[in-house]
Amino acid sequence: MALLEVKDLRKNFDSLQVLKGVSFEMDQGETVSIIGPSGGGKTTLLRCLNFLEIPSAGSIRVKGETLFDSADRRGLSEREIRQNRLHFGLVFQNFNLFPQYTALGNVSLAPRLQAKERPDFKARRKEIFDQIEEHSIELLRRVGLGDKLNYYPHQLSGGQQQRVAIARALALTPDVLFFDEPTSALDPELTGEVLNVIRQLAREKMTMVVVTHEMSFAEAVSDQVLFIDGGVIAEQGPPARVLRAPLEERTRQFLRGYEK
Amino acid sequence: MFQTVLLSLTEGFGKTLEIFALTLLGALPLGLIIAFGSMNRFKIISWPVKLIIWVIRGTPLMLQLIIIYYGPGLILGNNWWGSGASGRFTAAMIAFIFNYACYFSEIYRGGIEGVPKGQREAGQVLGMTNTQIFFRVTLLQVVKRIIPPIGNEVITLVKDTSLARIISVYEIIWNGQAFIKSQGLIWPLFFTGLYYLLFSGALTLLLGWVEKKLDYFKV
Amino acid sequence: MKKICALLLALSMLFALAACGGSAAPAATEAPAAEEPAAEAPAEEAPAAEEPAEEEAGDSDLSAIQAKGTLVVGITDFEPMDYKDENGEWIGFDADLAKAFAESIGVEAEFIEIDWDNKVFELDAGSIDCVWNGMTLTPEVLNTMSCSAPYCDNSQVVVMKADAADQYPDVESLAGLNFAVESGSAGEAAATDNGFDTTAVTTQADALMGVSAGTSDACVIDLLMAQAMTGEGTSYPELTATLTLTSEQYGVGFRQGSDLLDAFTQFYADAYADGTVQNIAATYGLEGSVSAP
Repeated sequence: MALLEVKDLRKNFDSLQVLKGVSFEMDQGETVSIIGPSGGGKTTLLRCLNFLEIPSAGSIRVKGETLFDSADRRGLSEREIRQNRLHFGLVFQNFNLFPQYTALGNVSLAPRLQAKERPDFKARRKEIFDQIEEHSIELLRRVGLGDKLNYYPHQLSGGQQQRVAIARALALTPDVLFFDEPTSALDPELTGEVLNVIRQLAREKMTMVVVTHEMSFAEAVSDQVLFIDGGVIAEQGPPARVLRAPLEERTRQFLRGYEK
Repeated sequence: MFQTVLLSLTEGFGKTLEIFALTLLGALPLGLIIAFGSMNRFKIISWPVKLIIWVIRGTPLMLQLIIIYYGPGLILGNNWWGSGASGRFTAAMIAFIFNYACYFSEIYRGGIEGVPKGQREAGQVLGMTNTQIFFRVTLLQVVKRIIPPIGNEVITLVKDTSLARIISVYEIIWNGQAFIKSQGLIWPLFFTGLYYLLFSGALTLLLGWVEKKLDYFKV
Repeated sequence: MKKICALLLALSMLFALAACGGSAAPAATEAPAAEEPAAEAPAEEAPAAEEPAEEEAGDSDLSAIQAKGTLVVGITDFEPMDYKDENGEWIGFDADLAKAFAESIGVEAEFIEIDWDNKVFELDAGSIDCVWNGMTLTPEVLNTMSCSAPYCDNSQVVVMKADAADQYPDVESLAGLNFAVESGSAGEAAATDNGFDTTAVTTQADALMGVSAGTSDACVIDLLMAQAMTGEGTSYPELTATLTLTSEQYGVGFRQGSDLLDAFTQFYADAYADGTVQNIAATYGLEGSVSAP
């Protein structure tokens, strides 16, 4: 059974159709790269999957559990939306770290708030918080920032900030981790450190969806590549085929822009 | 003589401080309510609120004091404030609180709208509730943004308190001027400036201290 | 807590008032809520009596005042008419007479220092019951209030530095000087009538201060005030009163059409007949100025 199943996902903003029916599946431990021209619907797809936008139609299933299905007319409650989001993590293009918290604070904030809903929270408060802190430090070590725990975002470089953001997204152990162009806002010399972290996560069999413009990275790291254009998946398949020998003319045209 | 003047000015300054403190106490929270009103997505709420903000910010506080205190008696034929000091003071407080709440509301609005959308979304994808996002993520960033403009308004308020004398609330300027009329003494009026200077100086230090306290992060 | 509640109530009322553009219509619904802030105030203001008092105001001002038990007298600090003694008690020719008048109608006199520019507002809004503060009976005053017959004579005089007084023996010689005058006062009217170049200030005391400080060459103020505040042994020993420009008379101002005026006229006639007025005047050195009814 696929870990994530997306069926016929559509999103309209008023009369503008941004997603016109997107369907794909991915298995546990897979890395999927999404490429395509800007304005093609890549970011909207990610936002829909994270429930920052509510899809107009279609369904989203994780591990067989239906998170969203437009056939169910009931609509989602605030609480259900929040629960759904916990299945996913999202790393933003602009990091969006919380400026008033340290690196460690950024990573541990959400888990600490989540812990308050545990039935044994009152009795084991200190123990739980210690565990969260330990886990958060471990995550920051994994992204190579074990020595920057108490640095505030403005004291870190862009690449370091993005690595904190990755650790933060991992802190709630999501089923799928999404990246929205994670290196687009970085100076070229800083993209490597972020891509290395994602590569390492791929090796550790983290299930990931990466929207990216780094074609060689996509080829090296992905199990699947989706080319999204005009609100639909125009082409999909193993990276070597989609990137080296695309079947569709518009894929070829798009890739030509990256050859120079 | 010096002692008499000092006593009278200090008494007047007590009233000045009272106006100052109660205005802040009322206007800071009321401003937040008005800010949320003006940002409400329902126009039936946001438009009237914006209209009120426009009227209050677009007219002099002195005029508002006169309308609020004399208005009921002149327009409605029912002077519910009475003649005494407490009625005048209450009327003055309403004018001050409303006036300053409207100024504060616009500062709050700017501060809240100035927090990038991404901050809120980052909280959302981490499964935080709206309340958690407001208190754990947005609030402190808003506070840091609004401290300087709020500080300006607070310093202005120190001096604006003297407008209350227009409806015979006896604050420090009134008491200072009284010596000109009764004794022909000019210096007490000038001396009131020292009280204002010392107080606004202390406030400036306090505001600087708060700003420094929030200096550990950048927005 | 109660105070805050009352304040919030009043605030919401204000919102409603502002929304209605200040039309008179909402009065009926607003009034009870608005009573709150006044009601929580100390009992000294006797707010309970306010409401019936205001309702009857249209019929009889006098009975309304008797119902609330106080005659609220609007004054400024103006020696020798209204000023404070060492104990902070209001005294003076006007103050003492006002107390006697209040007693004659069976109420207590309460003195409220007001902003002189707002005296008509205060009177019409009902926050004071009369203006009794050496008020010159000018056409403006007579038009906006119901005024008593004159009870005291006064004149408007020119005050300047004593060492310059010799150079200005007559009105013609004063042309070209800058005069400080109280805004809206009889002194301002007199100065304007003579074509003087004037600078308006807030009080007569400010006018004197201007002359003393040299920001104005001279000022036009009440004779009574000039006598009290200039010359040897006063606040301004270097100043002196020179020319008399106009003579005028003081009166007491009441609300338009108020029956309080009749009560005052009766009181003044009686008090003059039994010598009370003359006695009080003598206390403050004004025995030469009081008028017979």
